[in-house]
Amino acid sequence: MTQDTLVQTLRAGFGPALAASQGGAARRLVLDVDLTALRAVALALRDAGGRYMVGVGSDERDRRGAFSMIHLFAFDKEGFTADLRASAPADKPEFDSIAPEIPSAGWTEREYMDLLGFTFKGNPKPKRLILADDWPAGIHPLRKDVPYNLVPPSAEDVAYELDEAPPGTTIVPIGPFHPTLHEPAHFAVYVDGETIKGCDYRGFMTHRGIEKLCQTQVSYNEVPFVAERICGICGSVHATAYAQSVEEAAGIKIARRAEFIRTIMLEIERLHSHLLWLGVAGHLIGYDTIFMQSWRVREPIMWLSERLTGNRKTYGMVVIGGVRRDITPALKDDILNVLRKVEDEVGGLKDAVLKDTSIHRRTKGVGLIPREEAVAWSLIGPVARARGVDIDVRRDHPYAAYDEVAFDVPVTDSGDVWGTLVVRLLEVFESIKIVRQALDKMPSDGPLLTEVADVLPAFRHGLSMVEAPRGESVHYVVTGTENRPERWRVRAPTYTNLQGVPRMLLDNQLADFPIIVGSIDPCFSCTDRVLVVEGRDRSRRVLARSEIEALGRGRRT
Amino acid sequence: MRALIYVFPLINAAVFLLLAPLFEGVLRKLAAKIQSRQGPPLIQPYRDLLKLLGKQNLNSAGTWPFKLAPLGAFAAVLVVVVLIPFGGRLGVFAGRLDIIVVVYLLTLGGVAVLLGALASRNTFALIGASREMVTMIMVEPVLAVTLILGAVKLRSLGLAAAMPGAAGAKFTLSTGLMLAVYLLALQAFVARQPFDIAEAEVELLEGPFIEYSGPNYALFKYAMMLKQMFYAWLFVSVFLPWIRTGIYPADIVLQLAAMLVVFLLIGLVGSTNPRLRIDQAVRYYAVLIVLSLAAVALAVKGW
Repeated sequence: MTQDTLVQTLRAGFGPALAASQGGAARRLVLDVDLTALRAVALALRDAGGRYMVGVGSDERDRRGAFSMIHLFAFDKEGFTADLRASAPADKPEFDSIAPEIPSAGWTEREYMDLLGFTFKGNPKPKRLILADDWPAGIHPLRKDVPYNLVPPSAEDVAYELDEAPPGTTIVPIGPFHPTLHEPAHFAVYVDGETIKGCDYRGFMTHRGIEKLCQTQVSYNEVPFVAERICGICGSVHATAYAQSVEEAAGIKIARRAEFIRTIMLEIERLHSHLLWLGVAGHLIGYDTIFMQSWRVREPIMWLSERLTGNRKTYGMVVIGGVRRDITPALKDDILNVLRKVEDEVGGLKDAVLKDTSIHRRTKGVGLIPREEAVAWSLIGPVARARGVDIDVRRDHPYAAYDEVAFDVPVTDSGDVWGTLVVRLLEVFESIKIVRQALDKMPSDGPLLTEVADVLPAFRHGLSMVEAPRGESVHYVVTGTENRPERWRVRAPTYTNLQGVPRMLLDNQLADFPIIVGSIDPCFSCTDRVLVVEGRDRSRRVLARSEIEALGRGRRT
Repeated sequence: MRALIYVFPLINAAVFLLLAPLFEGVLRKLAAKIQSRQGPPLIQPYRDLLKLLGKQNLNSAGTWPFKLAPLGAFAAVLVVVVLIPFGGRLGVFAGRLDIIVVVYLLTLGGVAVLLGALASRNTFALIGASREMVTMIMVEPVLAVTLILGAVKLRSLGLAAAMPGAAGAKFTLSTGLMLAVYLLALQAFVARQPFDIAEAEVELLEGPFIEYSGPNYALFKYAMMLKQMFYAWLFVSVFLPWIRTGIYPADIVLQLAAMLVVFLLIGLVGSTNPRLRIDQAVRYYAVLIVLSLAAVALAVKGW
């Protein structure tokens, strides 16, 4: 269904309750609806093939006297998005829930119950999602009258109440600290014998309030560096997505060369991330040789990133208007050399992994869900592509320089963890292909950074999706008046995929819990320094950078 | 010369206790090499044990079985080690005991682990215990049959006859089949990948041992190292009986060298396989049991 026919159908169905308009950029459909029609139009969008991305709730009482709720849908085949917007009065922020039919909206709604004090009539699980269990009721931190640094007193003897366990099951607590999880989160897994019969999730234990911080404290061009720290693995994705959404909102057109450099950095990031994940996946099924070998192959990519950006990770390359560093001809050769070696070694790794029948035994049929349910849960990234859902933001909603490079989107219909493994391994070769083409087609000169006006127009909306290694990241920006976003909404891919995990776990064995949760690739980051304490005289010394490098890299050639 | 039979058990205990951590170190070094790592020094397991022995013993469960289980597991394996005809020499006890005692003691060691796990009342320990129990039920028959095979051939259950049993008997079809089955069960005997199912670090956080710390944990670890070494010795002694010169010290060295090769095999298989699920492992064990029973039937027939 094209954008036009969709609008016609909706107009016919909802008449005066709906106003359709063209968003700030091409291929952005904006639908303003009456509060009462929100749910019906959302369902109509889903029925028309829309994929639910996320919701954006905002406190706009100061300028409009209302709360706003935006549901974002993507039409991947047709390559456009639809913002479904509705407002509720300041004294009664109540919306109809769409979560019963669109389950991936469940967290969005629970998030705004916590953060903005919204009510969603008919939400099937109106429990706390984000706020700590001892956070006082009635304080909603994303509302504008709540200061960003508010620290309410903590309370004793409050705990999250788990969902009721199905009869005949026992609860296995996994988390907040468990070797399967690299970040604190709690899964209460209900098992019958060793078969998983259900699962409740309590996470958001390290919620940092980044959105609130950036809406109240920092300025436009500081946000990319905060955004990059959302994730230690796909930081460049978040910085790019944020910058693109501001650029879209303010109508900034950046230099083509900068777009190519962004593309190259995103793909180099994907290379490191896919190899990192392969290693973790090996570890989770007790195959540490895969773990060590794939991280060995990954290491030269980290060194390459360091030569390109100054950092192994958290590149700090992206700002609004372009990028901060150039890829010189010497660096271009460097990239090509590293890619040649990595391609060769991943080729060997791929054969070793995909032909190993013992790996087949641990991954085939594990976390199996059919395509229809993957669509129903709006799964994204390799998790969706492993289940026959042929979506990839890079191809469906091209950004940066992806419209100028040719690549395949590997899709399998095995529907299980095995499929995820295959998809991610094959994507490594596609990434290499993309980087080579981008280096080839990149304009040989031109500015890296486009001049951006001192004052950006206020209250413009910008949306950007970027395909992170583990799925689509969505950033939504409403520009503000104080040289910072009025509203910045981030949705990392795990937010969506994690909601589908309880379904993937159902009727699997407890032994498969690690690899099923691991298959969506929840992320971790660490920046340790090494302190050596000598055994005999207790003397201490901090290793110099060169010594740490020697430990990790051996002799450098 | 008669007095020496009192010395053999002591030598057994000394050699096993001294070298078990070294063999463990070999496994770790080998895994590191396969994984392109430098790996810990060979003597790291000694350091680990010493470190654990120097730590506080937490009795987190607060019960007697929890405290005694590690001692039980360690003692059971140590007694097995003392009894065996290491270096081809029978000690003072060996003449009066039979192979049932050996199987019994090895099972006792496993039961002690179960007891400790159940006493610790931890969810992960309980799951680990149930997996351990299933593994014991499915794998012990293979061990028993390995010993019974020699007994059938020499018509005696005595330790003296049966343990190097296949040595006295000729290498026949049944020996060959049993050798294959033993190799296939080896990883399960020593609880290494793909059969480290009960401990399964990323799933169960070491399962039965999760609540253990300090010296108690050291005892469990030591017991597992000894057990590992015992199973390597059993293979060498039963299936490679021709590795002997008749000179006691030389036989000890030869057997140790052969055991080292078995350890290299364990390490190689362990580093090139993911962990199986318990349901997959049970199907695998079932085949092994059937094959080992077939080996007994062949032996009875005289093949």
